[in-house]
Amino acid sequence: MIRLLILALLATAALPSAATAQPEVSVTLAVSPAEINVGDTARLEVRVRARGGSIENLELSDLKKYPELEIISHQTVRPIQFSFGFGSGVQKESSLANIFVLHPTAAGTYEFAPAVAKVDGKAYRSAPLTLVVRPGTQAEADPTRPSDVAVQGDLSGARYDERAFLRTVVESDEIYIGQQVNVTVYLYTRLRLAPQSVIPGKPPMDGFWVHDDPITNLQPQTVTVMGTPFRAYVLQRSAAFPQRSGELSVGAPKVTFNAGGGSLFDAPERVNRVGAPVAINVKPLPQPGPSDAVVGHYTIKAWLDRTTAQTGDAVTLRVDVTGRGNVQDLRIALPPVVGVRTLQPAIRDQQHFQAGRLSGTRSWEWILIAEAPGEHSVPPIELHFFDPDAEEYGAARTAALTFTASGASKPPQAAIEPRNAAPAPAAATFGPLRMYSALDRGETPVRERAWFAVLLGLPPVLFILVVLGASAVRRREERSATAGAVQRKLARSADDALQANDPRSFYDRIVASITHALDARLGESVGGLPHSALRTRLVADGFDDDLVQRVINELDGADFARFAASGVSKNEMERCRQRSAAIIERIQRPTRTT
Amino acid sequence: MTRTWCIALALLAAPVGATAQQAEQVTGGSSLAGIFEAANVAGSRGDHAGAISNYGRLTEAGIHDPDVYFNLATSLAQSGDYARAILNYERALTLRPNDAKASENLRDAEKALEEQRAEKEGEATIQRSSSISDAVYGGLAENALAFALLVANLLFFLALGWASTGRRRNGWLYALLASSAVLLLFCALGLSAKAGLLRDGPRAVALDDHVVLREGPDPRAQVRGEARAGDRGEIVDRDRDFVKLRVVSGVEGWTNRTAVGLIDLHYGVH
Repeated sequence: MIRLLILALLATAALPSAATAQPEVSVTLAVSPAEINVGDTARLEVRVRARGGSIENLELSDLKKYPELEIISHQTVRPIQFSFGFGSGVQKESSLANIFVLHPTAAGTYEFAPAVAKVDGKAYRSAPLTLVVRPGTQAEADPTRPSDVAVQGDLSGARYDERAFLRTVVESDEIYIGQQVNVTVYLYTRLRLAPQSVIPGKPPMDGFWVHDDPITNLQPQTVTVMGTPFRAYVLQRSAAFPQRSGELSVGAPKVTFNAGGGSLFDAPERVNRVGAPVAINVKPLPQPGPSDAVVGHYTIKAWLDRTTAQTGDAVTLRVDVTGRGNVQDLRIALPPVVGVRTLQPAIRDQQHFQAGRLSGTRSWEWILIAEAPGEHSVPPIELHFFDPDAEEYGAARTAALTFTASGASKPPQAAIEPRNAAPAPAAATFGPLRMYSALDRGETPVRERAWFAVLLGLPPVLFILVVLGASAVRRREERSATAGAVQRKLARSADDALQANDPRSFYDRIVASITHALDARLGESVGGLPHSALRTRLVADGFDDDLVQRVINELDGADFARFAASGVSKNEMERCRQRSAAIIERIQRPTRTT
Repeated sequence: MTRTWCIALALLAAPVGATAQQAEQVTGGSSLAGIFEAANVAGSRGDHAGAISNYGRLTEAGIHDPDVYFNLATSLAQSGDYARAILNYERALTLRPNDAKASENLRDAEKALEEQRAEKEGEATIQRSSSISDAVYGGLAENALAFALLVANLLFFLALGWASTGRRRNGWLYALLASSAVLLLFCALGLSAKAGLLRDGPRAVALDDHVVLREGPDPRAQVRGEARAGDRGEIVDRDRDFVKLRVVSGVEGWTNRTAVGLIDLHYGVH
């Protein structure tokens, strides 16, 4: 009953393998959702499943046809499984899937021809697919990201290349000293670049104070240049403030990126490009004007944290200057206050880059220590600025502030260290995030896999076996050579005895010769065995009966002749010599006769 | 009889198990890809906390991918958490040793951490690992060394076997024997270094600004020294929630395990 059950189980297990003896292949092409708006994302999945065959290739050629469908993520899933069964042996079941996340930049209907998979040299196709992209509200509402921009002829700041080039766009080529000018570096390309491989090189900007707006995501827009559609990526966006007048130059930017490499059979190409420098004419501020004027448009306010204090106690004066421009250029000086000791101010900056304009607030905090009782007055603080938009000078002023100190006069004390806020370290951009990941699960290292130990141990084991085998062969050859030499010596000795007509010696040599041949063949000494025991031993070792009988007869005859040597003729010895030679030759044959 | 039963059950279970594994991979891969995309979108928009959270979900789900660790480290660095950024750049480099951008970012994160600390304290130094094995094998992948070891092993024993048994022994045979022996030794040492056999424990990075190292696994134990955020070391012992950290300078002591992060992933990540 148990045997029947086992047979049933084995038959059940073998069924799937038997059923999959022939390759079964299915290729699917799917997109989700099938209709989207410009700016949305869609997941395109092309998958092949093969049972019993090897997947060689999976291709969706039409994906390269549409540069408007930006691939923002690509994942390859390749699970392989094995099933076991009788009859057909091990069956491999494998699948390969490429999952693309598409980000369309232009509306339209995108037709995909069937995906083609090659399994065991034979091509299999999926059904065709259509992706409908409708004009999106987001792209239309965002004027800074036009879906299609035409650039005809005007390629200033660029060194044109029909495959890829860099372009530096400067907002204005004539500005005042200290005035903000926006510098944007674009990469125009018709190549399919790998976003994680883009390494931009900043253009040299000597003579400028530069605030970078970090680019964390490479979003392309389609731009037509001289009738050819390019994808344009913003590589760098900076607010630059010239620090001296005259002609300044924004140097040539650089970029390195990988193009192609979308599949195993498409090796990526390393592309390097250098842009063109752009000149900017920087004008001095118009005269006459205040010599301490900064550039921008600012407001100023000041306040004390309290209006009464004991002499020797600290009162904090806070001044905030807020406005448009490079606040790090701002400098104000606190006029001396009689009867009050003033420590060095702590300065903090907050900057924002919004709508293409750099603005912010610079704050000063002074510690005021009243050394004499009475009312102390902080005089107004004035800031002069030149507004480049209005092209006129302006001023901002605080109101006078007062506070009252009570108590006895305090003599000056050792200076207290200023409480300067630690500025944040210069932040590295740390590069763009990588948009593609295989999402590996941390596969077991090769060294921990079972086959690694087997492959590592196999050569030494084989080496030992080969060496042992060679040693055994060598020993056998040596033994055989030694046995042959003894045999030949005994034969010569018997011949000498025959020539000397010495029957006793002759038969001694015949017995020794036959016994030695048997010793060599059997690998043990048989000289001491009685003939009956020798017969049993030879039969047990597979000697044929005729040979056994001949050996025993010859040994019996030789023994008899040794003790009755006078009655032996020379002819009889010669015949004995021939018979014994034939017997020895049969004993030495490598294959046993039956 | 028992053996027959085992074979029968194994044959029956093998296809079922394999199918279940495939189903898990497909459904799991799809949702994981969605998390990865969400993390990228958050990171691109400057939402570092959202990006870190989503990349963290991936690593907790068992994804140990160099690109995921790179993005997690980059998001941490951009949010100012340089110590954890260093840890995750180290993990990315362990999985993909020749990642030039990860190496560059690791140096930037160390520099930023040093500058941040120097601004507060006047000077700052991060203790980095500087072993010879790291210098020699740092740029080589572990699996590449394993495959090279197999090839060198095969060549060495082929040459040795030929030299032992063959009748013709030319100069090139001895040259092959010597070069394959050198390669075999090089790969074996490298693989040992990668596997941690030349270290006393898994590599770790101090995450807290002041990691107090004590005499024993107890918060009341006497203080023996301290490690600073970003300092490299090895975990040489464990006891409940405590680990014994030996920093590069040689100082070692017990600290809470949450204060350090493991670089070597096969020892477990926390």
